[in-house]
Amino acid sequence: MLPRPSLKPKLIALLQQQFPKAAIPSTDTLAVGSFPDWDSLGHFNYLMLVEETFDVRFSLEEMSELKGLDQIAAALAGRGVEGL
Amino acid sequence: MTRTTLRVCGASHILPGAAAWARLEPQWALTFGDFADWPSALMTTSADPLLWILTLEDVLTPESLEGLDDVALDTALASLTAPLEARLAVSTEPTVVAWTTWRPQSAIASARRLSAWSNAARRLETLLYGLAARRPALHLIDLDVALAVDGLAAAFDSRNLYAAGCRFSRKGLARAVEAVEPVLQRIARPPKKVLVLDCDGVLWGDVVGEVGLGRIVLGGDGLGRAHKDIQRAARRLGRAGTLLALASKNTAADVWEVFERHPDMVLTRDDIAAWRIDWTEKAANLVEMAKDLDLGLESFVFLDDNPFEREKMRLALPEVTTLEPPADVTAWPSLIDSLDLFARFDATPEDAAKAQQYRSRAAFADARRGAGDETRFLASLDMQAVSAPLDATTLARAEQLAAKTNQYNLRNARHTAAELEALAASPTTVAFLTRLRDRFGDHGAVGLTIARVVGDTAFLDSFLMSCRVLGRHLDAWMLGRLAALLRDRGVRWLFAEFRDSGRNAVAGQCLAAHGFARWAGPEDDPLRRAVATLSAIEGELYLADLDTLEIPHLDLFHAPQTQPQAEAHRAPTAAVS
Repeated sequence: MLPRPSLKPKLIALLQQQFPKAAIPSTDTLAVGSFPDWDSLGHFNYLMLVEETFDVRFSLEEMSELKGLDQIAAALAGRGVEGL
Repeated sequence: MTRTTLRVCGASHILPGAAAWARLEPQWALTFGDFADWPSALMTTSADPLLWILTLEDVLTPESLEGLDDVALDTALASLTAPLEARLAVSTEPTVVAWTTWRPQSAIASARRLSAWSNAARRLETLLYGLAARRPALHLIDLDVALAVDGLAAAFDSRNLYAAGCRFSRKGLARAVEAVEPVLQRIARPPKKVLVLDCDGVLWGDVVGEVGLGRIVLGGDGLGRAHKDIQRAARRLGRAGTLLALASKNTAADVWEVFERHPDMVLTRDDIAAWRIDWTEKAANLVEMAKDLDLGLESFVFLDDNPFEREKMRLALPEVTTLEPPADVTAWPSLIDSLDLFARFDATPEDAAKAQQYRSRAAFADARRGAGDETRFLASLDMQAVSAPLDATTLARAEQLAAKTNQYNLRNARHTAAELEALAASPTTVAFLTRLRDRFGDHGAVGLTIARVVGDTAFLDSFLMSCRVLGRHLDAWMLGRLAALLRDRGVRWLFAEFRDSGRNAVAGQCLAAHGFARWAGPEDDPLRRAVATLSAIEGELYLADLDTLEIPHLDLFHAPQTQPQAEAHRAPTAAVS
């Protein structure tokens, strides 16, 4: 069985789409606060963009727990979303 | 492109930075205040347009309505909208209120009587539209209508409310912004003026040149009914002031036979302001029709059933708006009905009469070409001009003229309705619109004149005239009327400024032709100083001495049988020395 392609490149592309003026640092642990524009409001908008892109819906609890790209990728994978 | 700043505030959190707002960003630089800071945003004096997203439940709880009668309810609503009223009292910048009153309610609880919440919603709507009637800067958008497209329940999201204080769902916020966009666009840009229609496949089904009059698809049930409804929708636009034109690759006689003989035709030849029915490329024909109507191609909207013709039009004339209708013709009547391109905030009687006026203009041009001697021709027109004061009944038309007139416009002062309202209210203003009638018809209100007075000196703030009536010396009549009104006030000196816009050379020639002389006096001359108190001068300054001014061509105009009451204008007041 082939390994599942990673969701993170797409999530990083969405991050750039949500924050077009931000310089996104090259780190494996991107999360809220990784750069100045990524504040709580920006994160909420980002999660909505993720929902729209992958046609999923996060619960209120998930919205408060999903702080980093790894967690978001895992939540998406849990819904059967695969990397593009 | 320079973007205009738009301040945005909400009663709910409206998620600055959300993808929904991106559609406004090419044209508007959005600035959001803090969460729910709408009262201070409205109360803050600012020169920027403002958008207020009002979710009623965020400012009025259902519990607060308990026990309120209508009087108390209106008082509560007036208190809520007091910051809005305060802004409108001091700001002439556009204010857009997009409101929603939706909240879940039991159908049973409102089956026998209007619920307290629904009553509050209706009274808020009445209050807002009452305010809009008094304040030209206010524009209203009932979001519940826009949000109903996807279903109101889908427009709101309780998770977003409890997670971020935003009542809207992602889709609901997008719909709300989508609803706001055309209103903001219309504030910034005038409506389109001409709808150009293809005939075969649009006004009727099939090709008349091939199947003949009796077999085209028009009337009855099915597609024939849809084509008839397309004509009805186009006629509604025409009667509201949009010019209808035909661009058809056909034999003209075949098309006019359908117009004259088919029993299910809705449009008549009289509904059509311009046409080109031949085998020439449609783009070339639109250029010719634009010349006939003296309108820019950016005023044209093109509807054709043939994707090939649409694509050719887009390539040849990108300034023309080429519609992309769905393949299903049954959707076209509602497409035409819902077009924002032609919609106006305030439809005036002049809008509705416009097609007739453009036809009159074409007839005038034809007659003039054949008449030879111009003076005799003009004298034969039986021209009657009357003036009407600038007031609530003429404000919308005055704003239209100020916004749209490019050629015969001395200074290009683009006054908004609110600014015109303020000018009209000032005792130092002399302002009137001019209506013209001649043997070709009633041209409506086609001229705007505004002068501001200080002592024995006046300054011509606005002097403009629709291009529809150029060549008739109506400018002479307008100046003569102004001179008479100013002399009644004891004014002797009339200053005028010509600001060259690159398109208004015809207006620039009028001053010297009507007795004005270029001002050559010193800056510290008392007269020059007086005019400086009325306006900054950026263009060429001219002066006329009303004691000696003689205006030519006034003998071309006859007095109407009865001068309207409105002719009285504003009486001089103590504020004018």
